[in-house]
Amino acid sequence: MQLKNNKHIGIGFRKDFSEELLESTVLKPAFIELAPENWIGMGGYWKKQLDKAAEKFPITCHGLSLSIGSPDDLDLDFLYKIKKFIKHYNVQIYSEHLSYAKCDNAHLYDLLPIPFRKDAVKHIVARIKQVQDILEMPLAIENVSYYTPVAAEMDEATFISEIVNESGCNMLLDVNNVYVNSFNHKYNAKEFITKLPLDKVSYIHMAGHEQISDTVIIDTHGEAVIEKVFELFEYTTALLKPVPVLLERDFNIPELEELQTEITRMETIVSKTWKKEHAIA
Amino acid sequence: MPLLKEETHTQQSRLAEYCKTGVFPELTGVIEDNLHHYRRLVFNIGIDTIETAYPITYRFLPNEIWDKLVYDFYAKHKCQTPQVWRMPLEFYEYCVEKNIQAELNIPFLNDLLYFEWLELEMHTMEDVPYPSFNVNGDSVNDVLALNPEHKLVKFAYPVHILAPTELEGKAGDYFLLMYREKENGRVQCMDVSILYAYILEQLQNGVNIQAILTEADTLFQINNFEMLKEHALIFINDLQQRQFILGSLTS
Repeated sequence: MQLKNNKHIGIGFRKDFSEELLESTVLKPAFIELAPENWIGMGGYWKKQLDKAAEKFPITCHGLSLSIGSPDDLDLDFLYKIKKFIKHYNVQIYSEHLSYAKCDNAHLYDLLPIPFRKDAVKHIVARIKQVQDILEMPLAIENVSYYTPVAAEMDEATFISEIVNESGCNMLLDVNNVYVNSFNHKYNAKEFITKLPLDKVSYIHMAGHEQISDTVIIDTHGEAVIEKVFELFEYTTALLKPVPVLLERDFNIPELEELQTEITRMETIVSKTWKKEHAIA
Repeated sequence: MPLLKEETHTQQSRLAEYCKTGVFPELTGVIEDNLHHYRRLVFNIGIDTIETAYPITYRFLPNEIWDKLVYDFYAKHKCQTPQVWRMPLEFYEYCVEKNIQAELNIPFLNDLLYFEWLELEMHTMEDVPYPSFNVNGDSVNDVLALNPEHKLVKFAYPVHILAPTELEGKAGDYFLLMYREKENGRVQCMDVSILYAYILEQLQNGVNIQAILTEADTLFQINNFEMLKEHALIFINDLQQRQFILGSLTS
């Protein structure tokens, strides 16, 4: 994705602050990200807002309901709608979660953890290839936060790596999710990151979270990014080629100045680590 | 041959079912203390979406009844849409199918839910191409062009006029014209009489006002065409002012 002025940091386009963002001189993301599920088939006021946003910013898409890890068949009708949407808005990056949100013909609208198992890898690899063939573009798969493994036969990093490497897809590396999982499952976040297929990372997510007990952090996207996640971000970007970075803020939206402060901080970090680059390939 | 083994599928099914019902599942290798987060997160998304779509019904029903209704819906219904904002339509359809209004003895529940869904649907529905029209035509003898983003609905209770607490004993025939304004996307509601609902229905069918009123004069046993026309034209003029009637259809 080609970004202007050597800026890398985008923000999630939320209806809660879409009007403010479109008129803002404070918040200046390099791009916006949206969930196609929230916009496909929508007309009226919101369609106008989306069209205005598309005139002002490049758009990336981050899906919620494709359910790449589901035992159910892929919803091809829905996939073709996504394809049409992506083409219409000239979307250069389409990502989805390495999880499942639909099972036994019922959508759940949240991200459930896939068993880290060899047969699940094969199943998902085949599905990613099918998605990429239909969309005629690479899919970027995101490492998700999870609060329990289920029937695991391998570790998370191996599971992700095998899927990415065998399917040929790209990876959306969610740095906050790595931090959340490292806390919840007591592993070293930096070591985890070095085990991932970093050459396939095409996109980064950053977000805030909420620690609800001594042992559990919930990935809420409703708080500011914490210091330790910024540190992990700096560590991670030093291992990567320049890619777009998204600040996710889905709830508890603060003043736009606060969001811009986070964006500026991330921009400062990547301007050091990626200083020789002038554009994102 | 499926690539996913039965055992893996079973584990995924059990977790998903737990999120729907809250009934603790048999799962392998899980952190049991953390499982409830999934149930909570899934259920919260569902309940938030439904409460946002049906704020009047949510406020009207006692908490324990509302909670049970949403719980049963989530446990028993398999949500089909991949777009969560469309899911409340499935909630309405579920309530109709299960005849919840009879179960709760709230005879206007279906109408109320449908009214609330319509407002949401009208606000978000895909843009409909406007017909071509001429604003200087003859509004009595020409076929009129209407704002295509509208619905004319009949209710058995005046859920679009009165609060739920005032609906008891108000069964009858009520008609609502709901439409979306082109420029700003605002949804407008207009209570209309059965006569005006008939006129609107015929306008939808491409019949001109002269023919509609000639028919209506007999159908409604008015037998006073000039008076009918005088009143109807006030109504038509109002719809023109509201830009619901756009002008004379030109194609």
